[in-house]
Amino acid sequence: MSERAAPLLEVAGLEVRYGRVAAVRDLSFAVGRGEAVALVGPNGAGKSTTLHAVMGLVRPARGDVRLGGRSIAGLAPEAVARSGIALVPEGRHVFPHFTVEENLRLGLVARRAHDGVADDLRRVYRLFPAVEEFRGRPAGLLSGGQQQQLAIARGLLAAPDVLLLDEPSLGLAPTVVDAVFETLAEVRAGGVTVVLVEQRAQLAAAFADRTHVLANGELRLTLGPGDAEDTDLLTQAYFGS
Amino acid sequence: MNALQTVVDAVALGSLFALVAMGIALIFGVMRLVNFAHGELLTAGAYALFLTTELPLAVSIAVLFATVIAFALATEVAVRPLRAASPAAMLVTTFALSFLLQSVFLLVWGSQGDNAGILPELNRAADVGGLRIRWVTVASIGVGALLLVGTALLLNRTTIGLEMRAAAHDFRTARLLGVRTNRVIRFAFLLAGVLAAAATLMLVVQRPLVTPVYGFQLVIPALVGVVVGGLDRLTSATLGGFAVGFGTSVLGDVLPSDGRVFLPSVVFALVIVVLLARPSGLFTRARTVVERV
Amino acid sequence: MSRVRGISELAGPVLLLALVALAGSVASRSVALEFRSALVSATIVIALYVFVGNSGVVSFGHVSFVAVGAFAAGLVSVPEALKLSVSPELYPFIARAEVGNAASLAIAAAVGGVYAFLVGVPLMRLSGLAAGIATFAVLEITHNVLRNWPRIGPGAKTLSLVPETSGFLQVTIGAVAVAVIAFAYQRSRPGRLLRAAREDPAAAQGSGVNIHRQRLVAFTLSGALAGFGGGLLVHLLGSITTEQVYLDLTFITLAMLIIGGVSSLWGAVVGALLVSGLNSFLAEAEKGIGGLDLPTGARLVTLGTLMAAVLLFRPGGIVSRAQAPRVSPALARRLASLRPFARERAS
Repeated sequence: MSERAAPLLEVAGLEVRYGRVAAVRDLSFAVGRGEAVALVGPNGAGKSTTLHAVMGLVRPARGDVRLGGRSIAGLAPEAVARSGIALVPEGRHVFPHFTVEENLRLGLVARRAHDGVADDLRRVYRLFPAVEEFRGRPAGLLSGGQQQQLAIARGLLAAPDVLLLDEPSLGLAPTVVDAVFETLAEVRAGGVTVVLVEQRAQLAAAFADRTHVLANGELRLTLGPGDAEDTDLLTQAYFGS
Repeated sequence: MNALQTVVDAVALGSLFALVAMGIALIFGVMRLVNFAHGELLTAGAYALFLTTELPLAVSIAVLFATVIAFALATEVAVRPLRAASPAAMLVTTFALSFLLQSVFLLVWGSQGDNAGILPELNRAADVGGLRIRWVTVASIGVGALLLVGTALLLNRTTIGLEMRAAAHDFRTARLLGVRTNRVIRFAFLLAGVLAAAATLMLVVQRPLVTPVYGFQLVIPALVGVVVGGLDRLTSATLGGFAVGFGTSVLGDVLPSDGRVFLPSVVFALVIVVLLARPSGLFTRARTVVERV
Repeated sequence: MSRVRGISELAGPVLLLALVALAGSVASRSVALEFRSALVSATIVIALYVFVGNSGVVSFGHVSFVAVGAFAAGLVSVPEALKLSVSPELYPFIARAEVGNAASLAIAAAVGGVYAFLVGVPLMRLSGLAAGIATFAVLEITHNVLRNWPRIGPGAKTLSLVPETSGFLQVTIGAVAVAVIAFAYQRSRPGRLLRAAREDPAAAQGSGVNIHRQRLVAFTLSGALAGFGGGLLVHLLGSITTEQVYLDLTFITLAMLIIGGVSSLWGAVVGALLVSGLNSFLAEAEKGIGGLDLPTGARLVTLGTLMAAVLLFRPGGIVSRAQAPRVSPALARRLASLRPFARERAS
């Protein structure tokens, strides 16, 4: 897609250790501006760890993470957020006692562009009508799917260069997941660069430009959207040696 | 008549304790630190007032606030290594810091006590409908209410307040959203300093004799009140502080004079009872999970 | 689970105590007093360690047990007429009691143990912050009551003319005995169960350990030993006041335990002797002896700084090898996920 343009987000030779165990080993991939890349794989494959390393929640033992060519490895999470990467964390982590609006306002904290807030807010309300409907109510009252929408909306309001999503389908009913992915497609169509970690490999592969299959902390395979139906290939990648 | 007087006095003391408690709770909220040494902020402020008794009132008050805020910010720096420690370790360490600071005060000023009398006019009583209420009581309630409401507004209406509340609720997610937690923590200490300074001013008017244990003696009930009220939420913690101040004042008036010496025992016994009955606090709504095995 | 490294864990501290005793017994009179004081401190700190070290729960209230032990031993060692002249309102059974040295120490231990038991029954359900506050409350209540109830003691006045029977033999035997008991406890089944519960409360409970009961056992034993230490103390000083067994002593004993190292008998003993030595040295320096002339209060400042420094930078204490608890990463993660306030802050 954009092989010649410099990648927006780049992970190079990433190694992350928890104690003596390497959760991620020599992982490299790149995401160009406007692209959508998915990371899939079995439990413990290191997918979430990769996102955590990008966000600075965990320090890489080796390797680098680069945003727009600039190394961001080792930055504190708040600094990474303020550099233009927004994470929609696994489990949503909305603030249940705050109103939906306050949750959205928190999304603005990392925003670099001080103008265009009203426009972005309108866009977000259009994308997520439930968020608009409940905007004065405590976020804890929202359903799982609605909270997911709120978390994504919150991420978008930061006007990030890259939006990271950690398992957005987790704990959601299938119809709700479909709705979330439809919205994600719209988000992506709006020009946002997306990196997605997903349990639902087929869903992710169909959505993304490139899907990287991780297992045991290593990159096993890279799939295109056409490979989404190829279950043999996926099984091989997940469980093969 | 007498009952009303008791209540008014209790509300005044409660307000001052609430100010101190709120400061303790703010700091706990953003960094989960229980600061045994919070009282030394008050002692430092009281000594600052002592040192500036000869100077004009405005200067004195300015020095008070500056000193307490400086101490508060210095505390923030000193406790940074404790960020990942367990609550018990924090308690012991800040206990040590408290003792250290008290020793410094003892070293510099001795144990005799110094008179930091300020605004002695406020100690005069006004006759309000049969009640003799001291001006300082009115001032305490007024200042207390003003600052408590002001802080609440700050927390609820401003961005920094939102960031503080977010950090208190979910530190990790707050960081992911770009909240600069170091700044937020520093701000919490600053705010706590302001509240403590105001409380000190009102307290010194009523109790002008400053000793190295001035703040420590006052903060222990406040700290206890915070834990008893419910450390996890700001409102419950502040209410807890208010309750301890209120309760101490009422019990002081109500207990027979020969029983009055046992006031501390009664208060602390009640504290133990509350801790056993509701370890997460008296005024908390939610069943927060507390270390209880 | 911590490994208890065999008999050397006991032999070491005991030898150290014996050496200190030996050194002190040949020193000049005033210095000898400091040495004996150090040994009494060691006794109290070991008592504190029995509970805090094995359970991992901080207790700010242990000096309460030292206090009741000291007053109990003191009161039963003084003739009736003398007691009544100081405290005319004493209960008759206290006023009339007059026993020998050994009996007074036994009574001190018993009173400490019973008091600790009564306090422990409700309090051992708490841990962490709540336990810290609650035990502090016990300290405050004990002090308040002892100071203001003339029927059980001298109140605000000094109880004096207590026989000074804490010579080197007594304090050394006392300290060693307490060390042996502490060691025996930590090696016993209840001791090991409690340590298991300290490392991983949920797992221990799941295995059927009654944490409340085990903590109560440790607390009671610790209270008895602390009471005994109080007995040694009153017979060392020849007198006692409530202020001597209140905040200052609480701070000092906690400092000793923490500086030495909370989790081991060695730590308790080393911390006690080291800090005692430092304390004495600084006290002398304050008086202008030994070539140093420090202002009054410098002693407490120094000790406070040392304690704060250890807590901030070397939380395991001087004796510990590592700075962080010796837990494998996998276990650490499991513990973190089990504990309600999972510590995710450390970046």
